[in-house]
Order: sequence, then structure tokens, then C-alpha cells
Amino acid sequence: MQFMDVASLIRSVSPGALIGILVLLPALSGLLVFAVRLNAARVGIVIVTAWVVTGASLTLFLWGALEQRSLLFTPPPVGGVSWDLLILLGDGALLLIFCILGAARRSPQIFALALLQAGGFLWLEAGMKPPHAHAAPLAADWLAIIMTLIVSIIGMIIATYALPYMRDHEAHHQIHVSRKPRFFLFLLLFLGAMNGLLLADNLLWLASFWELTTLCSFMLIRHDGTEEARRNADRALWMNLLGGVAMIAGILLLAARGEPLSVRQVLADSAGGAAAQTALLLPMACFCLAGFTKSAQMPFQSWLLGAMVAPTPVSALLHSSTMVKAGVYLIVRFAPAFHNTYLSDVVAFVGGFSFVAGALLAIGKTNAKAVLAYSTISNLGLIIACVGLNTPLAMTGAVMLIIFHSISKGMLFMATGVVEQHMQTRDIEEMQGLVNTMPLTTSLMVIGILSMLLPPFGVLIAKLVALEASVELPALLILLILGSTMTVVFWTKWTGRLLSSAPSTPRWGIERLHSMYLIPLLLLTSGAVIFSLLVVPVLTQLVIPAVTQYYEAIRPTAAQIPPMGEVLQFPWLPFALTLTAAVLIPLWIMRARRPQVRDVYLCGEQVSGLPTVTFRAAGEEKTELLISGYYFESWVGEETHRRWMTAVGVALCILLFGTASLWK
Amino acid sequence: MEVERILLALAALLFAPIVGGALTGADRKLTARMQKRIGPPLMQPFYDAVKLFSKQRLIVNGFQSVSVSVYLASMALSLVLLVLGMDLLVLLFVLALGSVALILGGFSVKSPYSQIGSQREVLQLLAYEPLLVLMVVAIYLKTGSFSASSVMSLRQPLIYSLPLFIVTMILVMAIKLHKSPMDISGSHHAHQELVRGIYTEFSGPQMGLIEIAHWYELVFLLGFIALFWHTNLLCGALLALGCYFAVIVIDNITARMTWRWMLRVTWLFGIGASLLNLFLLYGIAGR
Repeated sequence: MQFMDVASLIRSVSPGALIGILVLLPALSGLLVFAVRLNAARVGIVIVTAWVVTGASLTLFLWGALEQRSLLFTPPPVGGVSWDLLILLGDGALLLIFCILGAARRSPQIFALALLQAGGFLWLEAGMKPPHAHAAPLAADWLAIIMTLIVSIIGMIIATYALPYMRDHEAHHQIHVSRKPRFFLFLLLFLGAMNGLLLADNLLWLASFWELTTLCSFMLIRHDGTEEARRNADRALWMNLLGGVAMIAGILLLAARGEPLSVRQVLADSAGGAAAQTALLLPMACFCLAGFTKSAQMPFQSWLLGAMVAPTPVSALLHSSTMVKAGVYLIVRFAPAFHNTYLSDVVAFVGGFSFVAGALLAIGKTNAKAVLAYSTISNLGLIIACVGLNTPLAMTGAVMLIIFHSISKGMLFMATGVVEQHMQTRDIEEMQGLVNTMPLTTSLMVIGILSMLLPPFGVLIAKLVALEASVELPALLILLILGSTMTVVFWTKWTGRLLSSAPSTPRWGIERLHSMYLIPLLLLTSGAVIFSLLVVPVLTQLVIPAVTQYYEAIRPTAAQIPPMGEVLQFPWLPFALTLTAAVLIPLWIMRARRPQVRDVYLCGEQVSGLPTVTFRAAGEEKTELLISGYYFESWVGEETHRRWMTAVGVALCILLFGTASLWK
Repeated sequence: MEVERILLALAALLFAPIVGGALTGADRKLTARMQKRIGPPLMQPFYDAVKLFSKQRLIVNGFQSVSVSVYLASMALSLVLLVLGMDLLVLLFVLALGSVALILGGFSVKSPYSQIGSQREVLQLLAYEPLLVLMVVAIYLKTGSFSASSVMSLRQPLIYSLPLFIVTMILVMAIKLHKSPMDISGSHHAHQELVRGIYTEFSGPQMGLIEIAHWYELVFLLGFIALFWHTNLLCGALLALGCYFAVIVIDNITARMTWRWMLRVTWLFGIGASLLNLFLLYGIAGR
């Protein structure tokens, strides 16, 4: 009875209002935070926005689950002005801002790319008179709903975490005139833009939100205003503008072919036979290129690496729920249009190559944020490789990876940020023995890391699906095998540093964390654990319906359900419980009967009673034991590999366009 | 059916350590004979284990116990999964989980020996993991499924079509069992520059549990090899024992090499051999 009430209540909610909350509320709250410069007001506004947006995304999710259909929505005009026109004006303003930025920063690349994009835009609007899409400009299918959930919930958790972080950040950098209002303006605007991008069906709307995320990321990366921050923000801007140019080029090509500028219609048209599909390959290659820039695939990886100069909440946001996920989302969206073509294979190899290259370079990094950044590049590569495989099974892997990677990566960045605020370091070597000084944060961090590489955590099960899907393309499979093993290397090395301790090391007891640090960390860590325990329902209720609905909408004749038998039948829950028992039993035994603790073995030369591990070296001199990790600089250093990796990346992008234009 | 499977799993859990321990004893006896020594009695590994369990419980930190326990659990689980004919890739990941648990146990102690041993164990994982995954892929290409039980439906033993994978399996075994020239992260004898490498800081009952885990691991590896000749149980067992014998012979005629050499050999020669086999099978003969 009560369930029915809730169900009918959810059904009665206007989906348009939900979309309004998801897209417009973050932007409005951002403006409000910018206008009202009071600390308490800002905290209140951000927290209320976080709750409301999370609630709206959950309601939309329940609406989708109850209605079992895609939502189509045309927002009513505001004061007689249609939203089409408003978006158009907004996009024009954005391009103008980019041109001004290019001129102000004296950057020829930015200026030229912004101008090029503006030219394309003008040509489209004035010269082409694009055939107007009659479909609703906003659409939410199950895939978009899942993505909105990720963006809204994880994004808002990170925004909450940013509140104490930015306070500590400004205190630490001795910034007296607070820049927090501006920071939160762009942070919240970013989340609204992401939701808009996910829900847009009209390609012009999509492109406008796409540009808005570029602007927000630029402003957030350069937030600290140091020379390095400005330089790296410029690089991020021009690379993403290149993606924007690719996107507008794709739209122009579609318009030139008389296609309506609607994602759904383009996809439906691509299913109309081989000739129709071939005609659409070139615009699809453009969209893929745009996706590669945003997802920082080789050769565009450098902007994401540079972006780590930004305050850590920005990195958490860029790497987990926004920005890079926008890139893969675009490619996932359009994947059916290049189903079964060589273009799809090339896309798979771009992803596969970034997967291996990112994992390899991560091995050589001592900076925690750099390791996380390369790991992001690597994981997004895996997602794109799955999309390139373009089978229902591979798509399932891709969607799973998007979900689980967002949770774990957001959590790891936030934990690194907490460590940075407490220890003033982001160097993995200096995190040696962190388990003694910050046991709580370290435990959460270790769970986060293990959730990226061990069974039965979701990322690994997704990797399993990816590997099983990739047997279709043996050369890609080999890349995936090598990349997965390298992934184990850098995560294990990092965890090893965190745990390294000796009985003589002083213990500080459990550290006290600000509640707005602790709660976001706990939420995402428990999210990673709980979703992994519930991996089978997550798969059958969330991921597989998304993939199935998606294929049904495009190829109604063959509703394809991914062949997931082996993975679904595996007793994941008993397996996870057995491992939990294996962790808990020794702890319990140790509690009951404490074993004796002995010092480290140093061939009988150890000196006891000192707060550090010390041994007698030559001449009986007391020497402190210093240990550091292996980083194999000469093997996997960035400089050693940068040139050829960039070359391969560029070659793959050229190949992308080659196959798109020549393949008949 | 369900009861049968549970009994099978229990039997594997119960008998694998006995078989593994006895085989380790035979290994030590054979090795001694090759070195013109008499060697310990066949049951020596069991005596050793009993002795280890009767020793004092000494630890450096609590994480070590967790690491050993997870290591043992994963080794036992991977064997159970193999016996039950589960997904081979999942099985490899469970095996890797055990290795990572032990590596973290080694890392958790601030000791030069155990830490360098762990770093090298990570490299050992990097060396053999691709070979194992390629093997599973090769099996998939023959059977069309990732489950171990699907091998049973083949009419011809895998060794006829995948002979080179036996060679790569010997490589993997040498690394996993810490045999020369691959005993890089910690050998069986504590007289090298790393003392016992990754095992240095484990003692008493913990070391005993590690030994039992090793026995499970040995039986798992031999069982995996036996899959290559599933049509005849005797041939399968002989093939597995033959590989083990080859590893013992190599152990006795070679000296320890460096990790660079190991990576070169496994990645160039090992992956090369795997790909050559697949290429000969599918590139030339066609599917």
C-alpha cells in the first residue's frame, strides 16, 4: 500500500522539473554563492544544493525504473523566449569568452581554435540553416539516468568535501582575499553543465554544455593563479577547444548531409543500412576525437596531468564524475552508429593503447596525484577500448567501469587531498608508514586502492568482463593483458609504502578529521564496498538494462542481451564473505591472544629502544634505516616514452580519420 | 549434484595439502640426489610444518597475520574454483589476489630484506601474469568458453594443439615456486643477500600457514597443467609431474638471475611462444 503511494507519487512528479533541478539548480546556487560572499551562507547553500540535486537524481532514477521508458522533454519557453535561442546565445557568449581568453593569454592556439569554432558555429547557424530537429531537445534514457546519478551524487559529495578543503587550502597558502565564491561558482556550474550534457539530445545543446564544461575546468585548473596553474590551464583549454572544434566539425558534417541534429535521430538513421552508416562515419570520427580530448587519451593526456596543480577537489571532480566521463559518454552514445566498422576497431586501439601507456607511466611516478592521473587515463582507455569493441558484453563492461571507477577514483583523490592537508605532501615516498600517523585515512585509502585492483571489487569484475569481451580482437586483448598486469604493479607499490612500519615507529592514534572530510570519504568508500558486494544486482538491475534498452532503441530487430552467464553465475557474495572472514579471523585471534611483537631482523645489528629503525653500520656507527620504493625511472620515465607515445597517439588519430573517410 | 560439488570441494581442500606436502618432500629428496646428498626423509615438509606451528607467535605488526590469512584463503579458493570448473579468468584473479596479499604483508614491515623481496615479487607477478592470461585465452579459443569445465567437453587433449603453452607453463612454475633461475624475490635457502626476501619477517605459525598455502598453490599449478591432457587422467598426471620434474632439473643446473633478465625472458620468449602457438593454430591452419 505504502509502496504504491510512493510509486504514484514519483510518477506524478514532473520529469521536467527534475531536469530543471539537475541542470539549473547547481548553476543558480553557484551564482548565489558568488553573490552572497558569506562563509556560513556558502556552506548552507552548497549542502542544501547537494541534498536537493541528489534527491532529484534519485527521483529521476526511480521514475525511470517505474516507467521503463525514455523520457523526452521540451522545456517551456521563458517569458516568450525559446530555450533554443537562449542556448544559442549562451554558446555564442562562450565562444566570445574563449576568443577573449586567447587574446588575453596571448596564446595563438587558444585564439585560433576559438575563432575556428566560432566560425564553424556561425557558418552552421547563418550559412547552413540546419534542419531543425523536431524531437525534444532533452532526453533521458536509462544510460543517461545512470550517468546523471553518478554526476549528481559523486559530484555533490565532492562539492561538500571542497568546503573544508578550500578553507584549509586558503589558510595554508595564506590567501587573504578569499577566492572561494568564484571557486564554488564554477564547481557548481560544472555539475549543472555535466547534467545538461548528459540529458541533451539536441546536438547544439550538447555542444554548448560541452563548451561550458571546458570553460569551468579551465577556470578551476587556474584557480590558484600561480604561473604553473595558468600555463597548465591554458594547455587544458587549447586541447579541449581542439575537441570542441572536432565536435562542431562533426555537427557541420551532419548538417551538410541533411541529418537532423538530434542524437537519437542520427543513431536511428545510422541503423538504416550499410550505405547510411558509411555516410555517417566521418562525423562519428569527429565526435570520437572530441571524446578523446576530453577523456585525455593519448596523445591528449598532458592536459589531465597538468590539471593536478588545481586544488584537490577539482582533480577529484575532473577524474571521477565530470569532464573525463563526458568524453567517454559521448563515445558510448554514438558507438552504435559505427558498430561493426573498422572505425570501431581503431577506437578500440586508441583506448587499448592509452590503457597500457597510462599504466606503464604510472609505475614511474612518486607523486600520488600523478599516479592517480595516469591511472585515470589508463582506465578511461579501457572504457574506450570496450566501446570500440562495440558488443553488448563490452558495453556492459564499459558502463560498469564508468560506475565503479567514478566511485573509487573520487574517493582516492579526496583521501590524497586529506593527506595533503595534514602532511603537506603528495609524494608517495613521504607517505611511507602513513598507517601509523593517519590510520583512519590510510585504511580508507587502502580500501580505495584495493577496490581498483582486486576481486571481488567492481572495477576488477568490470575488467574481467572487458577481457572476456576482447577475445574478439586478439591484438587488443594482448594490450589489455599487459595493461592489467602493469596496473597491479603501481597500486601494490603504493599500498606497500603506506603500510610500511616497524614496532619502534611511534603511533599517533586515530586522527581527527573534519566531519565534512570524513563523511564524504566514508560515503564513497562504503559505496565502493557495498556496490561491489551487490555486483550481481547492480549488473542485472542497472547496467544490463541500460545496455539492452540502448541496443533496443537503435536496433529494434535484435534486442541484444549481453552473454554474461559466467560472470553472473559466479558466487560473488560467498566469495566476498570468505575473504572478509579471512581478514577478520586473524584479527579476532590476535585480539584473543596477543602475539609477541618483535623488532625487524637486521642480521643482529639492530639497535633497539630508538624511535626509528636503526642498525650498527661499519665502525659501530648507529645508522637510521632508510628504505624507498622502486620506480624504474630509466624504464618507465615519462621523458623516455613521451615522444613515441605521442607519435603513436597522433598516428592512431590520423588512422581514425583515414578509416572513416576511405572505408566504404 | 550440489552435494557432490560440495564434497568435491571439501576433498580438494583436505587432500591438496597432503599431496602438495608429499610432492615438496619428493622435490627436496630429488634435489638432494641431484646434488649427491642423501636428503631429508619424504615426510620432512610435514615435520617442518608441525615444528613451525609449535613455535612462539612472533610478529612485527598485525597486518602480517591478515596478509598470510588472505594468502592462504585465496590459494585454497583458487584450487576449489579449479576443481569446480569455474571461470578460468576469475581463477587467475583470485590467484593474483593471494600474491598481492602476501606482497603487502612483506611491504608492511620496514625491513630492507622483506621490502626488496616484495618489490621483486611484484616484478615476478608482472612476469608471469600475462603468460597465465594468454594460456586461458588459448583455452577459450579452443573451447569457446572461459569455464574450466568446458575443457572436459573437448575430444582431443589441449596439448595436441597448444604444445608451446607447456613450455610457458614451466616458466610460470619456476617463477611461482621460486626456483632458480627465477628465485628472485626470496629463494628456499636463507643464504642469499636478501636472507629469505619476502618471507624474511614471517615466522612460526605464520610461516607454517604460508607453507600450506604453497602446497595448495603447487597442486593448483599441477592441476592446471593436467587440464592440457584431460582425456586420460594418467597422462594428465604424468604431464604435470613431468613439468614439475623439468622445473626441478632447471633449478639444479642454473643460478639465480636478475629481474631484468626474468622480465626479458618471460615477455619476449614466453609471450612470443604463446603468440607463435596461437598464430600457428589460427593464422595458418585457420579456425
